[in-house]
Amino acid sequence: MEIRVKCRCGEDECSEWTIVELQGVVETQASFQGSIQNLEIGRLCHTDSSQGTYTFTVGYHELVGSKVTLKKPLLVLKKLQLDEQVSGKATELEVVGIIRTKILFKTRPKPLISGTN
Amino acid sequence: MEFDIPLPEELELLEANSHFFEEEEDDDYLNFEEPPYPYLIDSHEEKEDERMAQKNPDIGQSESPDINGCKRPRSLISDPIVNLDEVSPASEKRSKIDKNRVEIEDEDWLRFSPVKEVVHEVEEVMLQETILSRYASEIDGECVPITAPDGGERVYAKFCRALGDEEVKKLDVKAKSDGLIKDSINVLLQQSEKEAFNKVLQTSLEDLNENISAETSVVHEKLWVEKYSPSSFTELLSDEQTNREVLLWLKQWDASVFGSEIKSTTEEVLSALKRHSTTSHHQKSDSAFTRKKQFNRWNKESSGYPKNSDVSNSNITDKIDLWNKKSKLTGPPEQKILLLCGAPGLGKTTLAHVAAKHCGYRVVEINASDERSASAIETRILDVVQMNSVTADSRPKCLVIDEIDGALGDGKGAVDVILKMVLAERKQATGKENIVTGKTSSKKERRTAPLSRPVICICNDLYAPALRPLRQIAKVHIFVQPTVSRVVNRLKYICNMEGMKTRSFGLSALAEYTECDIRSCLNTLQFLNKKNETLNVIDIGSQVVGRKDMSKSLFDIWKEIFTTRKMKRERSNDASSSEAKNFDFLHTLVSSRGDYDFIFDGIHENILQLHYHDPVMDKTVSCLDSLGTSDLLHRYIMRTQQMPLYVYFPSLVIPIHRRVAQIQKPTIEWPKSYYRCRTLLVEKQESLRSWHHKIPPYIGRHLSIKSFVEDSVSPLLHILAPPTLRPVASHLLSDRQKEQLAGLVMLMCSYSLTYKNKIQKSDPALSNLREDAVSVLALDPHLFDFISFKGHQFKHHVLTLAMKQVLVHEVEKQKILQASGGRSEILNKPEIKKTNQDLARKTSNESQRNPFTPKPPPVTVGIATTSKPNTSEVKKPSRSAINFFDRFRKSRKDYEDPEDVQKRATAKRDSRPLLFKFNEGFTNAVKRPVRMREFLL
Repeated sequence: MEIRVKCRCGEDECSEWTIVELQGVVETQASFQGSIQNLEIGRLCHTDSSQGTYTFTVGYHELVGSKVTLKKPLLVLKKLQLDEQVSGKATELEVVGIIRTKILFKTRPKPLISGTN
Repeated sequence: MEFDIPLPEELELLEANSHFFEEEEDDDYLNFEEPPYPYLIDSHEEKEDERMAQKNPDIGQSESPDINGCKRPRSLISDPIVNLDEVSPASEKRSKIDKNRVEIEDEDWLRFSPVKEVVHEVEEVMLQETILSRYASEIDGECVPITAPDGGERVYAKFCRALGDEEVKKLDVKAKSDGLIKDSINVLLQQSEKEAFNKVLQTSLEDLNENISAETSVVHEKLWVEKYSPSSFTELLSDEQTNREVLLWLKQWDASVFGSEIKSTTEEVLSALKRHSTTSHHQKSDSAFTRKKQFNRWNKESSGYPKNSDVSNSNITDKIDLWNKKSKLTGPPEQKILLLCGAPGLGKTTLAHVAAKHCGYRVVEINASDERSASAIETRILDVVQMNSVTADSRPKCLVIDEIDGALGDGKGAVDVILKMVLAERKQATGKENIVTGKTSSKKERRTAPLSRPVICICNDLYAPALRPLRQIAKVHIFVQPTVSRVVNRLKYICNMEGMKTRSFGLSALAEYTECDIRSCLNTLQFLNKKNETLNVIDIGSQVVGRKDMSKSLFDIWKEIFTTRKMKRERSNDASSSEAKNFDFLHTLVSSRGDYDFIFDGIHENILQLHYHDPVMDKTVSCLDSLGTSDLLHRYIMRTQQMPLYVYFPSLVIPIHRRVAQIQKPTIEWPKSYYRCRTLLVEKQESLRSWHHKIPPYIGRHLSIKSFVEDSVSPLLHILAPPTLRPVASHLLSDRQKEQLAGLVMLMCSYSLTYKNKIQKSDPALSNLREDAVSVLALDPHLFDFISFKGHQFKHHVLTLAMKQVLVHEVEKQKILQASGGRSEILNKPEIKKTNQDLARKTSNESQRNPFTPKPPPVTVGIATTSKPNTSEVKKPSRSAINFFDRFRKSRKDYEDPEDVQKRATAKRDSRPLLFKFNEGFTNAVKRPVRMREFLL
């Protein structure tokens, strides 16, 4: 079955996405229960070495990971519900981005202890 | 014990063909009927003969001047030299010849027997009549003036041209005929000479009978110990049972050493034995016959079986049955080594020798004086085990290692070698051919040749450390002292043989003094005999009693101290001397041992267990007094290092002995309390010290361990367990109680005390205070240990288990807070809890503030706090009346303190909205086919 995907952008400008794969769960603190919006998850840094290692700080954990190219690239689509009278209900998929790589954090996280006080 | 004294006829017979007898003697050594004495006497006679032969020339020489003098007594040509002086040169030659003549003649007559000699002399006297005169005119022909050397008398001697004997002799006789020289003197001289000669003869004849002669035999005389050492099995002085077992053990070797011919030894030997025990002793041929049948390989031996006439036959049969049973096993006995031990002089070595000889072995002895390094021993043992001499004495050898415990280091070498051999053999026996790392061929040889000859080890102290391994594999026999009467009998017999006059009382005293050490007895007797002294009964100790050097064990020393020696037949007149003897004995005993610390420890521990009559405790007091003196002395010596003062220790024992010694034997225990106390002390000190290190320095530096233990443990424990604290939820506590709890927790923290689960020891003092038997919460440095004494019930309040749990929890929390919480927290801590004094003051202040209670002194903290519950009870309702929540809030405020810290610590963590939770080791991801349809919907 052929699925037509509409891409608004040009072939080059198609935005590149990346998966962050964690071995674990990011949980919200009990005090922030219910309002997850606009919360900062953490900080992802990229050390500019040739290997490309990434550090990701979540809460008081620091994760170290690396960039891995996916065997099959993934596409990020956005499903649009078009409300047209002509053809009744029609569903459209819009490409948001293409994913060719993922950043994999598979090592055990390093706990950060605040030794300030 | 019987001794065979041969009949005189027999003796004669034996003497007559003594040569023949001698040859026999060697072979007949096993023969019991053969007494040891004929040989001795025989040899003695021979010796005497020799001595006589030697003596004769002596006699001749010693007498020759006399005889010369006799020959020319009055003429006093006694000295040829004097003669020569005055002889004219012309006549010199002649006189010389004369002299020669005389000498030749002397020699001639000396060869004759003495009796003849006398006759000869008379002849001479008769002949010498005409030559010598006082006046020259009376002599016809030439004459020579001669002056006597002593008297100054001058005589003239006729010069005889004739060379005959008669003329020479006439010289002397001439003077006599003169009448100036009285015959009586001459006769007297002769008589005295004769007497002297007879005397010499007499003594030499006496020597034949008596073994000891005055001078010449000194060198030849044997020690009595050797001379009268038992040469046959029945003469042994040692315990019959031991003797038999040793013999039995040796017999067990027969099968492997002599071959298997022995197996048939049942009826014949038994019957022979029975016959022996009943019939007379001289049935050599019979026993020899039976014996030869068994040992035809070894046919030289004539008789070998013990003739135990003094033991019942049933016993013998028992033994033999046992032996037969064992000898059926072809191999050597189970234990290949025999270890004989016992005090010196009991006859261990003798038994070993006699038994081994008796069983037909040639004894090879390794003594303390031999080289005892491991290699030397090894070669010797190998020599014994493997070699067989080609010479006439082809009997198998038996190794006797004497004084194996003697030299520790060297003796151990011997022990090691023997052990190695035995153990290697055992391994072989079990079939485990252990691979020896390539060693010399000798080792291999040894491995192939097992310990195939009996080895007898002899020691004095069975429990010497060097012998420990040997003791396990060896068959051990302990010698006991023979009875005094037995020893005395033997001594008496020997004294009779030696012609020494002794009384049996003296002998028994000697035996008692030497503790039946027969060697020292005999040596002493011989010594005294030599000195022609008699045995002094009263003070044997002052006489020379040579004893083998040995020190007694500590237990023996304690026993000696606590028991009075049995004073048999003690009389009133020598009571003081025996006391002095006792005194000396104890002194030497203690000082020869030397471990004064141990000796006094032992006395100290055991003295109160003794049952001595002491109604007013004065004995105990004086004993403890001398113990105290010893302690002081010891301390002083240790401090000043003045070791010479140790000399005074042994004398301290004596008053104790005099006070408490009794006849009954005490049960003595090894002193353990000192060691126990020491270890306990070290342990407690260690625990205290480690605890002291854990206390923060700003507290710890004011707290010396010593003063803590001596002064402040008990108050601290009172403080740590205030009886007002109740194990209830924290929100139910009153304000004051909470304060108290917080203070307590702080205190515990700052003194780094906590409660810990401990397995309850079976300490009766504690167990009735603790309700839990299995495991209880106890203070971590167990402070109660420092105040718990035997029989002392301490009155400290002990917190309930629940309270303790609360405290543990709180303390843990506090510790964590201190560790993680800021220093600011620590900074304001000292205000709350400084030292226990502070707290004490604080609590007392609190109670002071309290209107209901009078002002208690700060020491009685317990009392002060006990009055508290009432006050808090009183206060509580009033507070709650104001505001319930107020109280809660206040207490919260009190308790906010730690929680605040906690909050602050977690504030930062809480600021992070999201946390990462690491899923270790597994993922929930499942791969499954997904249809596009599902996406599209």
